[in-house]
Amino acid sequence: MSSLNATAPVSTGSCCSISETMASPDTCVHCNLPIPPADLVVDQIDGKELHFCCRGCQGVYRIISGAGLDSFYRNRSWDQQGVASGAFDAEYDDASLAAHVIRRDETVAEIPLLIEGIRCASCVWLLEKLLVRERGITTMRINYGTHRAVVRFNPQETTPARVLASISRLGYLPHPFSPGAAQQAAAREQRSLLIRFGTAAFLSMQLMGFSFALYGGYFHGIDPDIRRLIQYLAAAVATPVVFYAGWPFLAGAWRSLRNRSASMDLLICLGVCTAYGYSIAAMIKGGEVYFDTAAMIITLILLGRLFESAARNRSISGIDKLLQLAPDSANRVVGDETQVVSSASLTPGDIILVRPGERIPVDGQILDGVTEVDEATITGEPMPALRQNGDRVAAGSLNLSTSIRLEVTRVAAESFIARMARLVEEAQDRKAPIQSMADRVATIFVPLVTIIAAGTWAFWWFSEASHAEALLHAVSVLIVACPCALGLATPTAVLAASGSAAGKGILFRGGDILETTARVDLIAFDKTGTLTHGQPTVEQIIPAPGQTETALLELASHVESGSNHPLAIAVQTRARAAGIMPAPDKPVTAVPGRGLQMNGINGQVLAGSRAFLTDNGVEVPALDSGIRTEVHLALDGNWQGLLLLNDLLREEAEETVGKLKKLGMATVLLTGDRPETARQVSDMLALAEYHANMNPADKTAWIENRQDQGHLVMMVGDGINDAPALSMADVGCAMAGGTDIALETSDLVLNRPHLESLYEAIFIARKAMQVIKQNLFWAFTYNLITIPLAASGKLAPVWAAAAMAGSSVLVVSNSLRLGRLLRRTF
Amino acid sequence: MIKSIIILIILSLCIGTAAWLFFIWTVKRGDFDDVEGPKYRMLDDDDDSPSQPGASQGEKP
Repeated sequence: MSSLNATAPVSTGSCCSISETMASPDTCVHCNLPIPPADLVVDQIDGKELHFCCRGCQGVYRIISGAGLDSFYRNRSWDQQGVASGAFDAEYDDASLAAHVIRRDETVAEIPLLIEGIRCASCVWLLEKLLVRERGITTMRINYGTHRAVVRFNPQETTPARVLASISRLGYLPHPFSPGAAQQAAAREQRSLLIRFGTAAFLSMQLMGFSFALYGGYFHGIDPDIRRLIQYLAAAVATPVVFYAGWPFLAGAWRSLRNRSASMDLLICLGVCTAYGYSIAAMIKGGEVYFDTAAMIITLILLGRLFESAARNRSISGIDKLLQLAPDSANRVVGDETQVVSSASLTPGDIILVRPGERIPVDGQILDGVTEVDEATITGEPMPALRQNGDRVAAGSLNLSTSIRLEVTRVAAESFIARMARLVEEAQDRKAPIQSMADRVATIFVPLVTIIAAGTWAFWWFSEASHAEALLHAVSVLIVACPCALGLATPTAVLAASGSAAGKGILFRGGDILETTARVDLIAFDKTGTLTHGQPTVEQIIPAPGQTETALLELASHVESGSNHPLAIAVQTRARAAGIMPAPDKPVTAVPGRGLQMNGINGQVLAGSRAFLTDNGVEVPALDSGIRTEVHLALDGNWQGLLLLNDLLREEAEETVGKLKKLGMATVLLTGDRPETARQVSDMLALAEYHANMNPADKTAWIENRQDQGHLVMMVGDGINDAPALSMADVGCAMAGGTDIALETSDLVLNRPHLESLYEAIFIARKAMQVIKQNLFWAFTYNLITIPLAASGKLAPVWAAAAMAGSSVLVVSNSLRLGRLLRRTF
Repeated sequence: MIKSIIILIILSLCIGTAAWLFFIWTVKRGDFDDVEGPKYRMLDDDDDSPSQPGASQGEKP
């Protein structure tokens, strides 16, 4: 053992791959975490001396480096949380995995997985590269966006359990995963939309060639036979575009006709059908055809829909990830035996065993055992909570320290996680669909155009014109009113705005979100992780009389250096900032939820809560620490002082709130925290209102109430407990570092953990709205000029088509101007 | 004249159909399911090779 620590000549660091990671001598080469000196592991790999924080990291480094995949360390960029330690002791067994395995034939089987702990592209790369080198695994493909993977393996050479074990050995948590029916439907929908668009695009390209010839023929003359031939060909390629690719619009128009309401679909259908129908009639009679108009409208608008649906599909997978948190199987205790049963079969009163590192499958009450439970994914609270006899624990939380026995209090379908998933679904259903601006326009435009066309026909019919002429004029009104510029006005501006927003790490899930964001007048914030950093920091050091701050900090860092507890990490960070290298001289015992104890060289050191020290006979002076967390220290039974820790507000919070107020927004704090904490935060940031002690359902109800009063509400949050509120709000906004579920149930994602992004998002949305309004204004002006001309029979259809193209170009370039403007502003 | 036009039209229709079939095939194959990944996969250099067995062992306890 000791030979590993033997001093070896320090490498020159000239070799590229490791030199960069060697830069900081006290952080682990593999995990980048600070190394507690007592745990330092020094290893020689390829002639370089490397420092690790534990044997585990050393092991993983050897696996990766041994496989020649050192690039992982060069390319990774970790900006998301990883998997909590202790999650890896879970065992996989083939029996419970068998249901998820899809057998292709004797030697080929597949297992779909959802992989927890993927933080960046390098993780995906590493997993794919390493797994296929395992015996029996043929391919492994991970989706970067959804973190879903399909592993194809040879069941005669390996077993599903071994596949999952090799993934978890690398530090990622695999969950067997079968996509739900809703998700499969959404994926099918997405594919069919893509095929429709692709078909429309290819056929339209062909059609353009034919139309070009026809336009040329119109101006310069063309042989009538050739014209006829080309017209037939144009009709042949345009027909599938209208009836196959355009089917969603036709169906939508039919639906809105049956509901007696006008929608964008109806307007599109009106334009397409008249252009197509007129062209067919003209082709038979020997007139000019406008198949290209019909096809282009469909192709361009399908493209807009494609972008929208891609963004939307991700919110469906959020609910599935939520349900995945609670494991499928549980260990039921019957007498002296434990048996693996499915979580769904558990009934209240059953007793189950949850080992450290396992997630709790159903809501329950602890029968025996004292443990720390990581509820971060549930509540957003960063600190593990102490749970003991009689305490209730929620499904989905992670058991960290010891085995516990639970009495089941609710069946799986009623568990916290399941209730939360239902709340999210309900909120999504209840939320009134945002009527996009184009649809609102259509409700006025469609009846108007129809009336004008009918009026035109009636006018010409009653004046001296022939029946055919009256009909022709009415048709040209309908063609001229084609929604091309109208259809392009919104999508192009949305694309330009969301493109430049994405460059700043702001993701809008669709054009309607951009519109609503621009109109939001009330912003509700969650506290932890949103307005605050979400992790504790040492705020104040109060030494006992006769002690110095440095001595106290040194003492604290010695005791805390071995622990991964968020409080301990905060103390270590502070100590390092003060230039103290934490080094425990003796082993430390941890008492879950209370504190740490160390029999050091200078005597017995205690660090922990007030109660922990008092129970050990230490006299602790009374002190009002407000809302902050106290860590007291004692040496040989004498109180040495205390550290006050707090989850600090983000530095930019105050400034951002100020800017938002200037934009005319009301700001509100909604938190599950105590009223004192809420008041303090609210006072510091000068928020308009605060509401404390709110559970997820309260938050949702509050938002719904405000919506009923006519407000457009944006909710900013990060935990699972915020997910229903995020779905309910007109705009749900989640920040990076939040839970996956929060990110996926939200409409607006800020990829940089900085509140300033929120202000930028609203600014971009408002600018985009301005441009959309300009575009719509122009599209209307065009119609205002051309419709009267067409109605009076003065406009030859070819000129109408040219004017239409001109107005489309104008709209598109105005949108591009928006992109440039936004790039200049930030 | 008209003959060559017809030949060219048929040719362009054939090429278009081939491209369209290729597109359908790629969609069915799932090549568009993960549009995020290729921008990273493109940068993978495959020249990493497993180091020689034994070379990386350092000092074994």
